[in-house]
Formats: sequence, structure tokens, C-alpha cells
Amino acid sequence: MDQSRREFVKTVGVLVPVGLAPSAVTAAEPAQPAARTQAAPAPSAVERPLYVFFNAAEADFIEAAVERLIPADETGPGALQAGVTNYLDKQLGGAWGAGERLYRSGPWQPGAPTQGYQLPFTPAELFHVAIRAINTSFEKQGTTFSALSVEQQDAYLKSLESGSDDLDGVPAKEFFSMLLKMTVEGYFADPVYGGNKDMAAWKMIGFPGAYADYYTAIDRHGIKFEREPMSLASDARGHIHVNPNIPASI
Amino acid sequence: MTQTLKHADVVVIGVGMTGSIIAKELAVAGYRVVGLERGQPHFTVPDFQSPSVHDELRFDVRKALMQDNARETVTFRNESSQTALPIRRWESFLPGTGLGGSQVHWNGQTYRFHETDFALASHVRERYGAKFLDPDLTIQDWGVSYADLEPHYDRFEYLMGTAGKAGNIKGTIQPGGDPFESPRAREYPTRPMKEHFQGAMFRKAAIDLGYHPFPQPSSNMSEPYTNPEGLKLNPCVFCGFCERFACEHFAKAVPQTFILPVLMKNPNFELRTGCQVQRINLDSTRKKATGVTYIDAAGREFEQPASLVITTAFALNNVRLLLLSGIGEPYDPKTGKGALGRNYAYQTMSTVGSFFDEDVYVNPFMASGASGTLINDFAADNFDHSNLGFIGGAFIGAVNTNGRPILYHPVPPGTPAWGKGWKEAVVKHYNHTVMFSLHGSSMAQRQNYLDLDPTYKDAWGQPLLRMTFDFPKNDLRMADYVTAKGVEIGNAMGAKQVVGTPRKGPYTITQYQTTHNTGGTIMGTSPETSMLNRYLQSWDVPNVFVVGASVFPQNPSWNPTDTIGALTYWMIDAVKNRYMKNPGALV
Amino acid sequence: MNERTRRTVRSIVLALSLFAAGSYGATGTATGDAKRGKAVAAACQACHGANGEGIRASGFPRLAGQTAVYLDKQLADYAAGSRTNAVMMPFAKSLNDQQRADVAAYYASMKPPGSADAAANDPKLLARGRLLSGTGDEAKHLQACGNCHGPDASGVAWSAPYLAGQSSKYLADALGAWKSGARKNDEGMLMATVAMYLDDADIAAVSAYFSALEPPH
Repeated sequence: MDQSRREFVKTVGVLVPVGLAPSAVTAAEPAQPAARTQAAPAPSAVERPLYVFFNAAEADFIEAAVERLIPADETGPGALQAGVTNYLDKQLGGAWGAGERLYRSGPWQPGAPTQGYQLPFTPAELFHVAIRAINTSFEKQGTTFSALSVEQQDAYLKSLESGSDDLDGVPAKEFFSMLLKMTVEGYFADPVYGGNKDMAAWKMIGFPGAYADYYTAIDRHGIKFEREPMSLASDARGHIHVNPNIPASI
Repeated sequence: MTQTLKHADVVVIGVGMTGSIIAKELAVAGYRVVGLERGQPHFTVPDFQSPSVHDELRFDVRKALMQDNARETVTFRNESSQTALPIRRWESFLPGTGLGGSQVHWNGQTYRFHETDFALASHVRERYGAKFLDPDLTIQDWGVSYADLEPHYDRFEYLMGTAGKAGNIKGTIQPGGDPFESPRAREYPTRPMKEHFQGAMFRKAAIDLGYHPFPQPSSNMSEPYTNPEGLKLNPCVFCGFCERFACEHFAKAVPQTFILPVLMKNPNFELRTGCQVQRINLDSTRKKATGVTYIDAAGREFEQPASLVITTAFALNNVRLLLLSGIGEPYDPKTGKGALGRNYAYQTMSTVGSFFDEDVYVNPFMASGASGTLINDFAADNFDHSNLGFIGGAFIGAVNTNGRPILYHPVPPGTPAWGKGWKEAVVKHYNHTVMFSLHGSSMAQRQNYLDLDPTYKDAWGQPLLRMTFDFPKNDLRMADYVTAKGVEIGNAMGAKQVVGTPRKGPYTITQYQTTHNTGGTIMGTSPETSMLNRYLQSWDVPNVFVVGASVFPQNPSWNPTDTIGALTYWMIDAVKNRYMKNPGALV
Repeated sequence: MNERTRRTVRSIVLALSLFAAGSYGATGTATGDAKRGKAVAAACQACHGANGEGIRASGFPRLAGQTAVYLDKQLADYAAGSRTNAVMMPFAKSLNDQQRADVAAYYASMKPPGSADAAANDPKLLARGRLLSGTGDEAKHLQACGNCHGPDASGVAWSAPYLAGQSSKYLADALGAWKSGARKNDEGMLMATVAMYLDDADIAAVSAYFSALEPPH
């Protein structure tokens, strides 16, 4: 990560109170110093992948958004560096995005929250429609999401997360929820899918990956297990052969 | 144009665990058996090999081994006043498909039910009085006893090579096992699994509190095993890719490892895959099945005539098949009449998270599907409910099966859902947290049932199954009680922070809570209140048998597989020794 | 967590890990130093080569780049008699725990390139070996070697040693020993239950295939 971004991340210094009450996980307000209007840094340190799904304007939004969801810091890579946008692009541009394993017949009703997803949109449609609506609303204000400061970006994402906005038929909550879910996937999935670059997220938490015989190690209760992680797509030299087109049906 | 095929003695619908065992028994007995499986064939080699099978995104998140919602799903509502809507993507429960059924990707957790479970209604009345139950609960006796099933539990566990420590052998309590269990004839076929660190911590804390921890019974092998079919299974290596994944090591007891190689060699058995059974056909009396109609993978329709039809298609599919075939009277929740679809139940799941300092390395990724440690002190009727205001209970255990990071990254309450704070919490807690599972019973109540949906259809044009379900208040009270007990154990482990998350209503299909769907074609003592007699034979159509968790009148505190296996052997003995010699009603 | 509960948890952790370590012997409890290990390894060079490459034709295995955990365990087992070899046992017995860990670390740190093996010529044998390495054989109840030994048997620490680039004679000898029961120092009989299903042709196939691969370096 380039120096200016590192400095920036340090000075923003988000502090989040970790409560002890056994309530459901809620998003806490980050404690922000006043009047920070520094622009969010451009992701220049990370090479932009070849996008097959996102157009330039969509990529612009997605790159900035995922980096707020999982920012780069001293604990580990951010979503951008980890290749999360590449993961999203290939999933949305592939069979999953097109509605693999989704029951798509109508009629459609919003239903109760206990009845789950009830929209007609495939993931690809949902992302295209929602991001277009988001970008259009920023365009009307003469700016873009990526041009905002990180505080403003966070505030905007929170408004998507908990508000009742409608993005051309996609409830903002639904879009945010899917974006967050897929960001976490791209961050922690096997790097074969184009995210979790160099297994950095696995190294960060200590997950050893796809090769997993622990017959002797399991007896070593409490051991700090320091084996290098391994991808299912690693060859004998440790080179990972990315292939995001693995279907979700056998 | 429907093509009519050559007559078979027996058609088995669904070649999973139950169908494989039944088909093998009848083929060996000399009957011509056709097994119809809607999914594809797959085998340990090449299909279950790693590293490709150790793909959390594909198998865990995207659910590659499960039924494809695009073709067939279930509609759901909490109450009859709502409109049921399709479950467009699975989360709460995950119906499988394919040769070997869902057992291909199960966790191997193998528990017997308690003797009181089989006569729960009588037992509760006797112990607590007739007025003790909430009036909406419709719990019933099974019509079969634990003693009837004990030899069949034994046979099934020895078929699979289940690993464990007996707690009660012929009435003598055994140290190290579960002292609450109902008596078994002999030890488990293999020794208990190795205990992981979480299990060891739990065990010590449970003992300190005066409880009775024991090793989770596992049908992932603890040692090399040769089963009575002559088939060999290999030791499990605790890879942490158990439930939702197939096993590459020949270590998980699945039909492919414990019976299919024998079944597939038998010339009396014919397997047809890619075949979606549309209905069981009845003659004009509506009291005799003539066979089944199915559509193959190429869309061709066939009629398979048969003398005996056995449906082993998974609990929900069994119910749907009988509804589509017009066997029995569909249940009406308003009048309480009709047995088909009644007493649908599920499982009441709660959790306790114990968070430790970063110098305590839990290594959650080192686990099999069934290598935990648990207690039954608060399960079933093992404790006095007199002043508690509910029936039922849960096993409580450190039974975590994995550390797969997309879906497993526990954080304490108050952690932000994203951003720097989330990331820091994930790093801080991923390898330093112990999660308990509290696996609770699910009582039947009159409002919960299954029927056919009036609106939504599957890819073959047939109505989907409609599920109307919410947690009985009884079960939520139970969940609160057992979760408090679990929190005490977490505290006794010396955790820095312990968080109990008891199950709360309303039931939502958006969160995984086991695939232990039960009921709908329940067994019992009377045709008014059950679909099947004690041999799992249809009261209405004597040449139709139904096997699976759909026969449970309500769901006890433990996973269903062992009991389904025991019922399978119990039922097949009756079919081979009595029914086949003299077809007709056995009761 | 207050100090009392902290001490409780520490005592649980310590008690459990000591218990577990005890059942596993002293292997892995000492941290090895590769520099110290070099001095210890002077005695090993006659058979295992100046660079740990082994003597292929004689079946003396390549040690270079093998995981320290594996090497340490093999030496501990030779010392205890749970793995038997007339030549290796006295060498292993002559080492204390620290020396064992050090020499294991030394060999683990070496990564010289491999050399060709004369056995790796028959294309049918190689094809069969490749199949067993990456896929397995359902009819013979054989899982892919790679499940535990890693991609192209390049080894997985704590799980199984690398086989790639190993002497084919050594591999064939080892598989024969697993099969006959002469070697039984794999906990849980994991290798014994694999070797049980390998016939002589398959042993020759996997030995040839692995010996033809580049060792990790």
C-alpha cells in the first residue's frame, strides 16, 4: 500500500466500542474526528483486473465501496488488494450472476423477512440496476461515490444498509446485504475464484486452507499452528491457478 | 407418450441411505428391485477427491451437492394467515440429491433417541399430568418402542462403524459414556474419536459443574473398519470439511462406502439415475399401488409397474409424493382431521459463544463432523421439568465441526458488521473462540403442517410442497432454559466473554438450523392420527411403505439419522419376513 | 477475565497440551536451529549426501527440504524403536531431543534441485502413477495420494512428507514396509490402510511417477 494511503488510514483511526450485552450484532457509529474532508485515496497501488461484468462507472463505485467494507490496515489487506472486485466481477458475470440455483418463477410478493429473498432480479440484474441508480443519484449532485471522503462514503453505505431507499426497484438494504455478503466471500474464499489474493486473508486469521489432514496435529491442544496455507488451486510450486468459472452444481 | 416398463417386484424411490439399505436387503432376498434416483451418480473416486472438494464457496456457500432450487423448492409461511412464498435459495435446511442421498455430505453425528421419546405423549401425561402440555401441542406416541428398535440401532451402527463410548450396556452404566442413554446391547463398533481442544475444555468445565460429558458418537471412522458387508472404511483425518462436503478418504459412513459397492453388484438391483418420480399410481380402488410414473433426465415419461412401492426420498419429498399421489387424507389444521401433512416439526437450535484471549489457540479447523464432547443432562426428559413450564430439551456440546472462514468468523455482539472494527474483531476472535451448539427438540403443534402449494410449481409442472411452521412457545421456553445452562459452562471454561444466543421466534428460512425436517407421514397406532402403522406401512395403501424422518410424530433432542437407520432395518425385517410372504396390512 | 480465571484457563491449556505432547513423545517440543544442525549432520552425509540429496540407486532417501516436523518424528521413532532400521536406529539413539530438532531443521532448510531417476521411463507406469497421485482408483479403494501428500506429492507440513523427486527404490521399499506391517509408525494407520490396497504394479507405478517429479526446491 502506498505511503499516503497508509498515513491516511492511520489518522482516520476508527474506534468502535465493543459492547458486552448479548444483543444481535449491530453496526456501531465510528468515532470520527470532526471536519475530516480528505478525499478517499485512489486505488492506484492495486492493479485493476480485466472486468467482464462491471463497466467503468460501476467499477469505480464497487472498488471504493468494497474498500470501505474491508479496509486495508495493519492487520491485513483490504478488499481491493485482496482482489475482491475481481471475485465479484467473475461471479456476477458467470453462472451465479445469471441466476444459477435460484427459483425464479413468479408471482412475486415482498413477503415477510422470514420468507427470505423474493425479488425477481438475478444477482447480475440486481447489481446492474442498483449501481446504476446509485451512480445516477451521485451524477445528479455532480459527483461520484469514489470522490467522497471516507467518512462520507461510510455514511452513505450505512444509509444503504439501514435505510429504506429504493434503487429503481432494488431495496437498498437488499443490495447492501448482497454486496457485503459477496465481499466477505471474495475475501475469504479459495483464491481459485480470483479473490483472497495470495491467501492473504487466510494468513491474517491463521486458516490453513484446502489441504487439511490434522490427524496428528489435533492432539496438540492449544498449539499455535503455523503451517503455510494452501489453495485447492496450488500446484507443486505453490503457484495458484485461478479459475473463477467453477459451477455451483455438480 | 408414456412408456410402460417391465414389472418389478419393488420400486424404491430415492437411492440414498435408506433406499440403498432397503434395496440391498430385498435384492439379496431374491426380489427384483428398481431404484429410482432423481440425482446423478457419484463416487468417492473421482468425485469426492480433494483438494477440489475442499472448496468452501462451492459446497458450503453455494451448496453444490444440494437440490437445485431452480427446478424444485418448497414454499414457506409461518402461519396459515400468510401467503406461502417460494424458498428461492436454501439456507435454513438443505435438501440433498444424488446417489447416496444427503448422507454423502452429512456430519456423521449418530445418536439414538431415548426410550421416553417413543412414547412421549404417554410419558408426559404420566410424569407431569395431562394438563402440563400447551393445548396446541399434538405430540403422539410412535407405536414402536426403544426396545423394539434396539437390535436395529445396533445393526445400523455396526453397518456404519460408528465410533463412541457406550454409557449403558444392558442396564449397567459405563464410565466415560452417556449415563442417560437407554440401554444398548454392546459397545460401539469402534473406539471414540480423538477429542479436539474445544471438546477437552468443555469436558473439564462440564465435570466441574457436575454434568456428564461424553464423546460425540461419530460415523466418521476413528480407526480402520471392515463392516458386516465386507466393506472397508478408513480413518478420518479431521479435515474440517465435513457437512455439505463429500469425503475423499473413504472415512465417512455414506452409502458409497458402507453398502453401494455390494448393492451395485447384485443382479437383482437396477439403478436408474436422473429419474424424477411424479407420483405413485393407484388402481381404481385407490387402495392398491400399481407402480410409479417418472420422467427421466431426457424428459421422457415412463410408468414403472411394481408390486411394492417404498418411498425413501427424504422427509419432505415423501410427504409431497403422497400428496401428489392422493394417498391418505390431507391434514386440515382448522378441523384437525386428516393425517397426511400433520405434525411437521424441525429442530430448535441455539448457540453459546465463548471468547478467549489471543493466547488460547482453539484451531477450529481441526475437526471432523462428529468429534465433539457433549452432555445430555438437559436433553429429552433427562431432567425434572415440573416447575419449568415446558417439555423437551437439548444436548449441549462443544461440537463445532469447522473453521471455514467465509461462514465461520465469530465476533462478540456490538461488533460492527463491516469496516475496520469488524476486521479487527475477526482477527482477534477467529482462532480464540469456542462455539457450543444446543440442539433442541421440536414439538408438533396443530398449526404446523405440510400440504401442496396452490400457486407455485416445480420444473415438471407439479405443485410445490407448502410448509406452514413456527416454533411452538414451548420450544422457545426450552431454548431459553438450556441456553442459560450453556452459558454457565462457557463461564466455567474461563472464557473472557460468554454470549448465549437462544433461539427466538419467528422461525426464519434465512438462517441455517439443520436439515432435520420431520413429520408429515407420521407413524402411530391409529389411522385417524397417523399415516403409517408401526411397520411404516401406509394405513390407506398397504403396498406402499414410507421410510425417513417424515415418520417421526415429533422431533426429539438429537439428530435423526441413527433412528431412521434403525427404523429401516425394523421395517425391512417386517417386509421380508411377513409382508412378502403374505402381502396385506401388517396391523 | 480476572486473574483467577485467567490462571484457570492457562492451567487447562497447559495441562491439556502437556498431556497431548506426552502421548506424542517429545517430538516437536524443541525448536530446531539449522546452523547447529549442520554440525550434527556431518554423520549423515555418507548416506544422505552432502546436500541431503540421498543416494537414489541405493534407496537412501533424499532429506533436503523435507518438513522438520516429519524428520524429527522419524528420528524420534527410530530412537524409540517404533520405526526399525539397523542403520538408522543407532544414529537416532545417539541424538538428544535438541540435536534431533536441530538436524531436522537443517535438512528442512536445504533446497537443492533434484536429479533424474532411472526408473522413470515407462509411460504406462507413469500414467498409472499420475492417476493414483491426483485421482485414485474407486475399484481398488484408493484415494488420491495428493489428498494428504499435497499437489504432485510436494508435501504438506504436519500431514505427510513430500514424495516428489524421492528415490523410487526408497518409495517402493517404504510402501512394501507399510503393506507388510514392517513399518507401522504412522499414527492411526493412515498409510497402512492405503498400502493395504496397493498391489505390486501400483507400488511400482507411484514410485516411478513420484521419482520423476522435481522435488520441492
